[in-house]
Amino acid sequence: MKNIFKYINLVPLVFLLLASCEDLDQAPEDRFTDSNYWTSVDKAQLMLNTAYSQMQTSQYFFYNEGLSDNAYNGRGDNAGAASIGAGLYDPSLGRLKSEWNDRYRGIKSCNVLLENIDKVPNADPAVIARMKAEARFLRAFQHFQLTTWFGAIPLLEKDPSLTEATRIERTSHADVVQFILNELDAIAPQLPKNTQLTDTEKGRITMGAAMALKARVLLYESRWAEVIQVTEKFMAMTYGQYSLFPSYEGLFQQANEFSSEDILSLQYVPVQRRWGEFIDMAPISAGARLNALAPTQELVDSYLMLNGKKINEAGSNYNENDPYVNRDPRLTYTVVYDGYNWKEADGSSHIIYIKPGSSPTANHPDEYVPGSSSTPTGYFTRKYYDVQHEADLNSALNLMLFRYADILLMYAEAKNELSQMNSTVWDQTIRLIRSRAGFTDPAALSYNNALGQPGLKEVIRNERRVEFGMEGLRIFDIRRWKIAEDVLNGYAHGAKFGISSIDNGYIRVNLRNFDPEKHYLWPIPRDERLINTNLSQNPNW
Amino acid sequence: MRFFLTGILFLGGCIYADAQSQKIQVTGVITSASDKLSLPGVSVIDVSEPKNGVNADFDGHYTINLKNGNATLRFTMIGYKPVEVKVNNRSTINVSMDLDVSSLDEVVVIGYGTQKKRKVVGAVDQVNNEAFKGRPNVNTTLALQGKAPSLIIQQTNSEPGAGINLNIRGVSTLGNNSPLIVIDGIVGGDINALNPADIESVSVLKDAGSSAIYGSRASNGVVLITTKKGSKGKPMSVQYSSLTGFNTPKYFTQPVHGYENAMLRNEAAFNSGQTTAVFTAAQIADLKAKGDTEWFAKEIVKPAAQLNQNLSISGGNENSTYLVSLGYLNQGSTFVGPTKGMERYNFRMNLTNEYGKFKLTTTLAYSKQIINDHSSNTSTLMVDAFRVPLYYTQKDKEGNYLTNDVLQQFNSLGILEQGGFRKYDNDDIFGALNAEFKLTNALKVKGVFGGRLWNGSMFGRVKEVRFSPQGVYGAERNTRDETNKSLDLNTQFMVEYNKLFGNHNVGALIGVSNENHSERRVALYKKLTDPDLGTPGTDTVIEPGSYNSNGTDPNGNPASPTNSLNSLFGRASYDYKEKYFAEFSFRYDGSSKFRDEIRWGFFPSATVGYALTKEGFMENYSNNVGTIKIRSSYGLVGNQNVNNYQYQTTYTVNPNVYGFGNKPVSGTYFDFSNADLQWEKAATFNAGLDADFFKGALSVSFDFFDKVTSDILVPPQVPGVFGTDLPDFNSAKVGNRGWEVSATYRHKGKAVNQSLTLNIGDSKNKVLDYNNGQEKLTGVEELQVILREGLPFNSYVGLRRDGIFQNIEEIQGAAVPAGITVVPGDNRYVDANKDGKIDDKDKFIFGNPFPRYTFGVTYNIDYKNFDLSLFIQGVGKRTMMIRGELVEPFHYNYGMTMYTHQLDYWTPQNPDARYPRLANNGTQSNTNNFRNGSDMYLYDGAYARLKNVQLGYSLSNDVAESLGMSRFRVYVSGQNLLTLSKVKFVDPELSEFNNSMSNSGANSGRAFPTQVYYGMGIDISF
Repeated sequence: MKNIFKYINLVPLVFLLLASCEDLDQAPEDRFTDSNYWTSVDKAQLMLNTAYSQMQTSQYFFYNEGLSDNAYNGRGDNAGAASIGAGLYDPSLGRLKSEWNDRYRGIKSCNVLLENIDKVPNADPAVIARMKAEARFLRAFQHFQLTTWFGAIPLLEKDPSLTEATRIERTSHADVVQFILNELDAIAPQLPKNTQLTDTEKGRITMGAAMALKARVLLYESRWAEVIQVTEKFMAMTYGQYSLFPSYEGLFQQANEFSSEDILSLQYVPVQRRWGEFIDMAPISAGARLNALAPTQELVDSYLMLNGKKINEAGSNYNENDPYVNRDPRLTYTVVYDGYNWKEADGSSHIIYIKPGSSPTANHPDEYVPGSSSTPTGYFTRKYYDVQHEADLNSALNLMLFRYADILLMYAEAKNELSQMNSTVWDQTIRLIRSRAGFTDPAALSYNNALGQPGLKEVIRNERRVEFGMEGLRIFDIRRWKIAEDVLNGYAHGAKFGISSIDNGYIRVNLRNFDPEKHYLWPIPRDERLINTNLSQNPNW
Repeated sequence: MRFFLTGILFLGGCIYADAQSQKIQVTGVITSASDKLSLPGVSVIDVSEPKNGVNADFDGHYTINLKNGNATLRFTMIGYKPVEVKVNNRSTINVSMDLDVSSLDEVVVIGYGTQKKRKVVGAVDQVNNEAFKGRPNVNTTLALQGKAPSLIIQQTNSEPGAGINLNIRGVSTLGNNSPLIVIDGIVGGDINALNPADIESVSVLKDAGSSAIYGSRASNGVVLITTKKGSKGKPMSVQYSSLTGFNTPKYFTQPVHGYENAMLRNEAAFNSGQTTAVFTAAQIADLKAKGDTEWFAKEIVKPAAQLNQNLSISGGNENSTYLVSLGYLNQGSTFVGPTKGMERYNFRMNLTNEYGKFKLTTTLAYSKQIINDHSSNTSTLMVDAFRVPLYYTQKDKEGNYLTNDVLQQFNSLGILEQGGFRKYDNDDIFGALNAEFKLTNALKVKGVFGGRLWNGSMFGRVKEVRFSPQGVYGAERNTRDETNKSLDLNTQFMVEYNKLFGNHNVGALIGVSNENHSERRVALYKKLTDPDLGTPGTDTVIEPGSYNSNGTDPNGNPASPTNSLNSLFGRASYDYKEKYFAEFSFRYDGSSKFRDEIRWGFFPSATVGYALTKEGFMENYSNNVGTIKIRSSYGLVGNQNVNNYQYQTTYTVNPNVYGFGNKPVSGTYFDFSNADLQWEKAATFNAGLDADFFKGALSVSFDFFDKVTSDILVPPQVPGVFGTDLPDFNSAKVGNRGWEVSATYRHKGKAVNQSLTLNIGDSKNKVLDYNNGQEKLTGVEELQVILREGLPFNSYVGLRRDGIFQNIEEIQGAAVPAGITVVPGDNRYVDANKDGKIDDKDKFIFGNPFPRYTFGVTYNIDYKNFDLSLFIQGVGKRTMMIRGELVEPFHYNYGMTMYTHQLDYWTPQNPDARYPRLANNGTQSNTNNFRNGSDMYLYDGAYARLKNVQLGYSLSNDVAESLGMSRFRVYVSGQNLLTLSKVKFVDPELSEFNNSMSNSGANSGRAFPTQVYYGMGIDISF
């Protein structure tokens, strides 16, 4: 018993020690919590910046071209371009899930901002209104991307709880489109025009950006009359001051960022925030490590002759053995071909030898060798090659999502669809674009009524293809024109380095297939449907 | 502690005799009690005068001259229990010595104390220092591999310093499965900073009965490490050991000949409908004539020396003991280029001082680790070198590093030789003060204060290397510094009571403790620094990943995390005549990782044991056969392995997320909270049996366990629509059941002594619930892993291959993946739902990726002065995923060579091939065969490996003594010498999962080659 008493005497000592224990309430030093975050406009702006950064990745920007007949992703499966391009995919493909997740992540940033920004004390209402409008633009943009790929999608006008997110159903494509259009109309008045932006605001969303998105949404819906309405106002400078930048080549250079043609672009900053896709796109001799995205022969063939004729047209003077001369100058600004004179910022240049055996030196990194790390098509990319690039071809060049040439071509297309194309419209659009590109031959510049509406349609569509070659828009045009089963079936080709008995010597690079019953909409990602059984699937998936 | 010392006293002995009598000569014969044969070589000393000692001759005869007849003689012989005999003026003393084969008197370290092995009723394995001797192990974790049943140690990579998974009894949670590590009673030390030579014992606490005293962190088991101490009353002893050897990199894979590869490339191109051959016949003939160049993977590695040296000095008098040790390890990197590798210096001082009822134990250990590494990423270097066919070279005669068709940007050799470095310099100070005061014989109080201060730094530079004809590495010329200082502090206060009331033995322990962790890290990254010095210049830019100590690292983690745990713990134990045992232990933990209101948790356990052979009716059995003890425990333990601050929603500001007007702007990311976050709770049942036979020559131990872990911390299934991830929720339940057996047989012969230790364990886990019946599929390259009720965690999911299409007839009407046209030679898959097409609905669930039937076998034999030991270790069953260039020829057009094991591909002449026909990336065949994940990527991961062999020679005692040494041994040692496995082209020991069971990418050409070691060493004691 004595021992037990001794033990009891020690109990207070035990509690004394307990009292001296470390405090268990600990807070991080490097981050805010709910209680101290929504306290200033500056902090709210940080959330908005995040939403901006989630708009689009540079990888999607470039590799979306690999989904179309313009380019081929021949190494790896970057952003799913190889799988989707060839039509060899199912709902488990990573790209589907990441596109879906990335976009909804962006939507969440917008919704969290919209639902909390009013908590910020002592804020200037005008500043708050503009930030809300920007967030709503970004939210609409994300929904637009989603509905374009997937059709009906969950529409999120507010931030969902986990339970809601797990049960939400798809909203029809038409309703999503209506939501987007309503939003854009509602926010446009709150947004500044491009001329009103200060230097430090360049890259922020403007009224012009909202209306350009609206025009694109309408275009993808083939709502021609409304496309005309919006684009006409654009051309009347109602939404800001826009014009074609005089030099097509210069348009894609850092020196000319924020030009009058740039309506909205993804923002990159020298040294601090860069994209690096060109390390897998440029010629090897220009510092690339390999080629993972190469323009196809089909894209190259779509460039007109300087006389305005298609290469296979009578009188085009196209010479298959010297194919790159007398071509639309945009070819040279977009695609690197055999014998290309590759220019660097310092004015130096070198010839890119791609044709097998063409290199005068023993070293021939760019030459086409089947299965090598050089180009699988015989072509490399020039457009968006940044002459001011940093190490490893990292670049701070802004990537344009909407540019004024698009407004003009939308206008031309809509007018022609409504059979309203005429020489005035032509001169306001195609002629301007072609002469900016460097065409001088009147045959290429002037309106040819003889083509008729169907012929003009092909001309305008081809103009879009070459004007925006390697800018990631082609796949969306193919889909809305419903021509994918024609252009995405069979072999994609490369340059004429093959055996003449097969496809006339144009190398077969990739066998593709496109099932119109199924491939016009991406399938809802498999994982999403496993979690949320209320999500229906697109037809035939 | 007291048991421990008692044990040492018992073994080491020190009894002082009265010292007044006359000189006397004593002779006698020493025999072995078991076989009555004489025992040669037994050491006989006069205890009062330790310098006076002799050895028995070959027939067991001895003669010793003593100063007086009251002396005490001490007879010792390795493998026999020491005997002490009072001389009492006798001139003839014959002694019979008993074999010391029973380990029941061994003292086992348990949580907050020690226990005699015969009284242990929890599931505890103890590995003693013999397990580490003579093995070239760089760290303690690897040294433990195969040494205790169900202690599973796997490497994710053979690269020195790469992650090692340590796991007890398999997978019973969905997150971190790492056990709690306690070093000399202090939580928070680094097991891999220890010098294995300093370790006295490692206890593995497996069941709740033994581990519940560690409460909320015990559910993955506890590893208790105790370092060596000096012995009381022993003169100074100096021990020196040195082990020198070479690590030789070994690849399990071999590329095909260059010309052969060229032909295979052509075959693939032809099969893909390509119209032009990749190589002309002339080129192939030329390649064949020239012969193979080099395989880059072999050229970037070389054998590297490894040196381990240890010196320790120990001893003690009546009141104090000391041990001071120094260790040095130099493990050269097997990469070529400027010297790389790891150096580690260890210093340790363990002191005990007793003053009356007061005892103070002081531990101070310092470890310095210096690592020199290349500036790149090892898996990139490996895979780049791995994928190049045998017709290129990396360096020309002028010393230019060459790029080629496959590697246009750089090659690994150039980076290793010229591309800069990363230097790590880590200081680790570990100290503990343990004060004990005996209030009475039965009651003592103990205070422990200790911890670890770690300071790590990294200085790295990326140097620009230009390649010919083109390509550049490191053009950004980064200079990087990182510093991390962390502190773990433990404070414990305990009261311990032990008393024997007649036949009732009662013990109790109660204590309180606080353990806290804090750290501060800073990093400064600059780019475009001076090419020679790495100092800032005109263009130099501070990289955005740099952070201050109140900042956020590039992985999004706080640079200054803290956490703290307050606890009350205790244990009560009872035994009756060492026949019936009962134990109760508990811990009550409060953790800073959880919200105030739900921060405290209680973790109890109860254990009972029954020493059957102590019963009267078993007396005959115990006299003739051996002992039996059965034991069982049940308890609740926890797991709090979650990140700090997860119960609060946080907003982190990151720089440079976007820009406006060419100026960078910051952005905020939020981390949603789970305010209801709490511990995982594991209810663990254990039943075990310990038995020995043949008077202890064979001892066997068996355990069965059944563990149900609920409230498992796992993020819920979050739909993409939700727009962000969620932190862990307590939302899953996993059952884990298994058994383990260990057996040791020791045989002492006249000239030959042998022992065989075998351990094997198995565990099988099953998910019992995940978020009320949800399931989660996670993509792992081509396959997926599934989390679903009723299945082992992370079971692989994919298509099942049903052979290969042999001809057009078989293809007609066959089910194939949508949009794919197959040809003969392509994989055929099982159409599980018979709907005529192959899709997600046809996926099968394959085996368990976690190892089962893990085993270790140690065999020791010594004959006269020679000793040999063999150690075999392996896994009986495992489903292993292998992918990339190791499975797919010309993988994704990144890999450009095939390997010899892939030559078994389909052709009409080889219809029974292992692999489908060759076809290029992006073709329908390639997509069908390789992009559709199937069991073609799964392999049998069972293996047995001769992990270590040692052959030694010791000088006999008298020769050693005549040279002034008490022991001298030389030996040769080899590691990883032989591997038996079904998969021949990859090291089967490598796991594709890390300790959190998250997949780190299947085994591919990115793995570092296995290190085969040969070396020799010496052990000297003075």
